[in-house]
Amino acid sequence: MFRMVLRVVGFLVFITFLVAPLRANAAALKIGVAGPLTGDQAAFGEMLKSGVLLAVSEWNNRGGVSVTGTKMKVKILWGDDRHDPREGVTIAHKFVNSGVVGVVGHFNSSVSIPASTVYAEAGVVQITPASTNPKLTEQGFSTVFRVCGRDDQQGEVAAAFIVDKLRKKRVAILHDKTTYGQGLADETKRFLGAKGIKPVFYSGIVQGDKDFTPVLTAMKQKKPEVVYFGGIHPEAILLVKQMRERLGIKADFMSGDGVFVDEYYKIAGKSAEGTYLSFSPDQSKIPEAKNIIQMHRKRFGKEVGAYTIYSYVAANMILASIAESGSNKGSKIAAHIRSKVWATALGKIQFNKKGDVLESPYVFWQVKGGKFVQLN
Amino acid sequence: MFTQQLVNGIVVGSVYALIALGYTLVYGILKLINFAHGEIYMIGAYIGITTLAVLGAMGITGMSITLTLVLVFLIPMIYCAAYGITLERIAYRPLRRAPRLSPLISAIGMSIFLQNYVQVAQGARDKAFPSLLALGGFNFMGAYISGLQIFILATAVGVMAVLQLFIQKTRMGKAMRATAQDRTMASLVGVDVNRVIAATFAIGSALAAIAGVMVGMYYGLVNHYIGFIAGIKAFTAAVLGGIGSVAGALLGGFLLAMLETFWAGYVSAIYKDVFAFAVLVVVLIFRPEGILGSSDSSDRV
Repeated sequence: MFRMVLRVVGFLVFITFLVAPLRANAAALKIGVAGPLTGDQAAFGEMLKSGVLLAVSEWNNRGGVSVTGTKMKVKILWGDDRHDPREGVTIAHKFVNSGVVGVVGHFNSSVSIPASTVYAEAGVVQITPASTNPKLTEQGFSTVFRVCGRDDQQGEVAAAFIVDKLRKKRVAILHDKTTYGQGLADETKRFLGAKGIKPVFYSGIVQGDKDFTPVLTAMKQKKPEVVYFGGIHPEAILLVKQMRERLGIKADFMSGDGVFVDEYYKIAGKSAEGTYLSFSPDQSKIPEAKNIIQMHRKRFGKEVGAYTIYSYVAANMILASIAESGSNKGSKIAAHIRSKVWATALGKIQFNKKGDVLESPYVFWQVKGGKFVQLN
Repeated sequence: MFTQQLVNGIVVGSVYALIALGYTLVYGILKLINFAHGEIYMIGAYIGITTLAVLGAMGITGMSITLTLVLVFLIPMIYCAAYGITLERIAYRPLRRAPRLSPLISAIGMSIFLQNYVQVAQGARDKAFPSLLALGGFNFMGAYISGLQIFILATAVGVMAVLQLFIQKTRMGKAMRATAQDRTMASLVGVDVNRVIAATFAIGSALAAIAGVMVGMYYGLVNHYIGFIAGIKAFTAAVLGGIGSVAGALLGGFLLAMLETFWAGYVSAIYKDVFAFAVLVVVLIFRPEGILGSSDSSDRV
């Protein structure tokens, strides 16, 4: 008899625990935010976090987002994918099961692409601030968007820069085997080929490795004038340091948006001088961005990073679409996003059917005097 | 290119060898793979950074480079020796009579714990190791050899020579060899086994600390994850050379580094790890105890 009572009580306690979290979440509008929050690319994760926090705080300070008549506060669900596609998919399932109305993420193309299948099947809107691999929007999902550019655009600009601006012919291409890194390197290779240039050296490196001197030594044999690297800053820092300091290679070092972080010149120091990086034009020159840059300074005490404003815009777009369309259904939000020209902190943005922005210029920057300087 | 690749491989080999020594010493005495050893190496690198920061703030770096150099190695060695002894005390000693699997699991647990502890304490981002010596370099037989590489090689060789002397000529060294041969018998003839084990961990950890500081100086960059990869590589090196054998750790370390470097330079940079592990598998198939290992039939796992 006593045992029976114990079991019933235990069962009721168990049920209470199940219900409690449900009650707590009832009144909030959830958005999922995913990216490399920890690990070697945590610099990017930090930008993602700050950007989204600024956007969400703005909305919450105004009382929240009104959905079907009621104003609801916005709650952020964080997902740390550590740029691992498997983590990313697990997080995607978690977000979908938690009933998020939209996702800002992921960050790395190799994670965004598998995760997009999960979100698309569930009809959850996904806006990535930074995944630039073309495949993401070529899958035909109507709920996937990106506010950044694409690597075929970056590759084209890079090839033009090498041939027309630098006028160099011997190009070595390295990549980190990821969807983004190898994708970007291959796009550059393709556009160089269209201009009649074949790379003198092409090799992948292993992400997470420390010592690249073997492959750099092999590359040195081919006497490249330009080294183009498709990959992210941790490897770029080591590559350029070892190139210059250990092997005395004087070739120009070029890369893309994955290297555009302060850590690059801070850690690589003198070796980073003269590096060319492709990125979007100076954000601080856009009038709408000035406000965010100020807010960021005040709240976090530091300057915005390369992708902070992209993350802000992505989060804002989801919330604004919900508020303006009054709906929290993925298809309606997506349709609304496509329906207008947005005036954002990145300038005017309009999306095409695939989810890409219509205009996304890439320009070249250079590390000069220990910081990034945009070249005309 | 051959000479350059050789030079490239030597520094990596020194690092692997130093860490592998820690694995092999502990295995010789306890028949335990200390999976947390890679994390000790990582902690050594971090303590190196902190030491440099403190020394810089105290103005010692400006005053005397030699003193700074000595301290930047010595202090991490002391700290890591302490870490090693503590590690043994809390994670392995209570399990000395337990089945072989238990301390192994405990080791993996400590490894995860230490990685995350450093991540929480120091942040998840990469930390720059301040450059200390601008030693320049010179060209020799078609290769560019930097002064730093020579310094690292000299330090590693010197340390290994001292270790060999220690093991062969001192009483503690003799006690360690005796305990490795037969723990019960050693305690019966009066060797304080607990002290020997503590000393082994201390020495192994100090070596790992040296490797950590060297890696910090050489690559300029540390994060909380470097212990994991280096640990696996060094463990592979120790097994390749014959786990339990000091000379084996040296041989394995340099051999593994050379295999990786030459494969990466001449064949494919992407699959160098595959090649290195493939060699390990082949060697173990034909010689399970490793190249210089002794087939000790009393302890098959």
